[in-house]
Amino acid sequence: MGLIKTQPTVESVTEEVRKHPRDCAGLLAQLIDPNPTVRRWAARDLADCPDISAALVERLHQEADISVREVILTTLTGLGDATSVAGLVECLRSEDAARRNEAIEAMRQLPDAVAPIIRGLLADPDPDVRIFAVNILESLCHPEVERWLIEVIDRDPHVNVCGAAVDLLGEVGSGAARESLLRLKARFANEPYIRFAADLALGRLRDA
Amino acid sequence: MSPTFASPPTWPWGVYVTPEPAETGITISEADFQKFREFFYRKTGIQFDSSKRYFVDKRLAERIEATGSGSFRGYFMLLRFQVNGEELQALTNLMTVNETYFFREEYQFQCLVDSLLPEIVARKIDRRPIRIWVMPSSSGEEPYSIAIYLLERWAGIHRWDVEIIASDIDTRILAQARQGLYSHRSVQYLPADYLQRYFKRRAEGYQICDDLRQSVEFTRVNLSERADTRSYRDFDVIFCRNLLIYFDDVSRKTATETFYDALKPGGFICLGHSESMSRSSSLYKVRKFPSAIVYQRPLEVS
Ligand SMILES: C[S@@+](CC[C@H](N)C(=O)[O-])C[C@H]1O[C@@H](n2cnc3c(N)ncnc32)[C@H](O)[C@@H]1O
Repeated sequence: MGLIKTQPTVESVTEEVRKHPRDCAGLLAQLIDPNPTVRRWAARDLADCPDISAALVERLHQEADISVREVILTTLTGLGDATSVAGLVECLRSEDAARRNEAIEAMRQLPDAVAPIIRGLLADPDPDVRIFAVNILESLCHPEVERWLIEVIDRDPHVNVCGAAVDLLGEVGSGAARESLLRLKARFANEPYIRFAADLALGRLRDA
Repeated sequence: MSPTFASPPTWPWGVYVTPEPAETGITISEADFQKFREFFYRKTGIQFDSSKRYFVDKRLAERIEATGSGSFRGYFMLLRFQVNGEELQALTNLMTVNETYFFREEYQFQCLVDSLLPEIVARKIDRRPIRIWVMPSSSGEEPYSIAIYLLERWAGIHRWDVEIIASDIDTRILAQARQGLYSHRSVQYLPADYLQRYFKRRAEGYQICDDLRQSVEFTRVNLSERADTRSYRDFDVIFCRNLLIYFDDVSRKTATETFYDALKPGGFICLGHSESMSRSSSLYKVRKFPSAIVYQRPLEVS
C-alpha cells in the first residue's frame, strides 16, 4: 500500500476496444452508440472529418444527454461554417430553455460566422428570437455590434426587444447612439422602463 | 508518452530564466503577431492578447535567430510544416509560464485528505489504485506536495494504493520535475520537518528524495490536443490549477469537457482559486467542503 507507479496509459489504451475503426463513417455510427462516453468521443473526433456539420446538427437536435450535446456544440463552434450556424439558429426556436442558452453561448464565440446572418435574426418575425439575437450580441466580439443595436432601437416595434438592446447599448454604446436613444424615448413615451433604461444608457455613452 | 529532449536541462531550479535576446534586428509586424497568435492558440489553447506583445515578440525573435530562419515568414513556415514538431515544442517551452511552488493553495490538499479521499474510499467497490492526475504539473512542486500530503496527513495511505500522474506541455519543465531540484524560494512554505524528511540538501538548493521522485509519473500532454488526452481516463481526482487562466472561453470549455471524460463518475476536479469551469460547469456538481469548493462529475450514469 502507498504511492505506486504503474505505466499509466498503457492499460487504458489496450482496454479500449474500438468497435469501429476511427474513420468518419465509423465515428458517425458511434454518434448514436448507447454509451454516452463513446458518443462524446465521436463528437470530438468528428471535428477532423470533412462535411460533417449537417450530421452533427441533426444529432444535436436529437441528443438528450447534455454532456454529449456540450461536446457537439464545441465541435460545431470549432467548425463554425454556415451549416453549423444554421443548426444553432434552429436551436434558438426550441421550446427547451437549456438548448436555447447553449446555442446562444456557442454563437457568441462565432463572430465571423454570425455576422452575415445577424440582421436576419434581428428582423425575425418572432420577438423571442429577436431578443435571443440581442443576447448573442452581448458578448460577440464584432465591430458592428453597436450599429446593429442602434438599428434595433430605431426600428423594432416590440418593447422587450428594444429594452434588451438599450441595456446593452449602455455597455457598448458611443456618441453614435445618442440620437437613436432620444428617438426611442419619444417612441415609447408611455413605457417607464424604456425611458429609465434609455436615460441610464445616455448617461453611460462612451465619449458622450 | 516519453518526451524527447536531447540534453539534460541546464537550469534546474524553480522558475526558469529566459536569456535576454541578442540584438537581432528582427522585427515582428502587427500582422505577423496576429498570425502567430492565432496559430499558437489553435495548437495550445493559450491566448496572448496585445498586452503580451513584447513577451511574444522577444521569444519569437530569439527562436528566429536560433533557427537561422532569417525572418518571421521563414520561421513561421518551419513552425507550421516541420514534420516532427520539434521547433513548435522548443517555442512552446519558451512561451509557457511555469510559476509554481510547494504547498501552493494548500487548502485544496487539506480538502483532498479530509473530504475527497474519504468519500472516494467509502464508495469504492474494488481494490484498484486511487488515481490522481495533476495537469499541469510544471516543475513538479504540486504533484510532490500531494505525495507528501498523502504520506503525512492521510491514514488511508496504509490501506490503499495511490497513483499520481503529472503532465505538462513543456518538455523542459518536465525534465526539471523528474530531477526534482528546487530553490529555497520554491520550498519556502514547506514545514521544516517535511523539508528534512523528504529532501536532500544540494549545493544550490534541495532535491526531492528518490522515493518520492519514483512515485510520481511525469508525462508530456497538451491539454488542447485530443490525441494526447484520449488515453487519460478513470481518475478519481484531477488538479488543474493555474492553467485555465491562460485559456480563452472556447479552450476552457474544451478542457472541462476533456476532464469530464478523464474522470470516473463521482470524480472530483480542483481548480485554482481564481478559475472557473465556464458554462460547462453545468456538467459538474459544485461541492462545498469545509476547506475548499470543488467540482464533481455526477455519480449517476446518464
Ligand atoms: C503556472 S503553471 C501552473 C503549475 C501548477 N499547476 C500550479 O498551480 O502551481 C502553468 C503550466 O501550464 C503548462 N501549460 C500551458 N499550456 C498547456 C497545455 N495546453 N497543456 C498542458 N500544459 C500546459 C505550462 O507549461 C506551465 O507549466
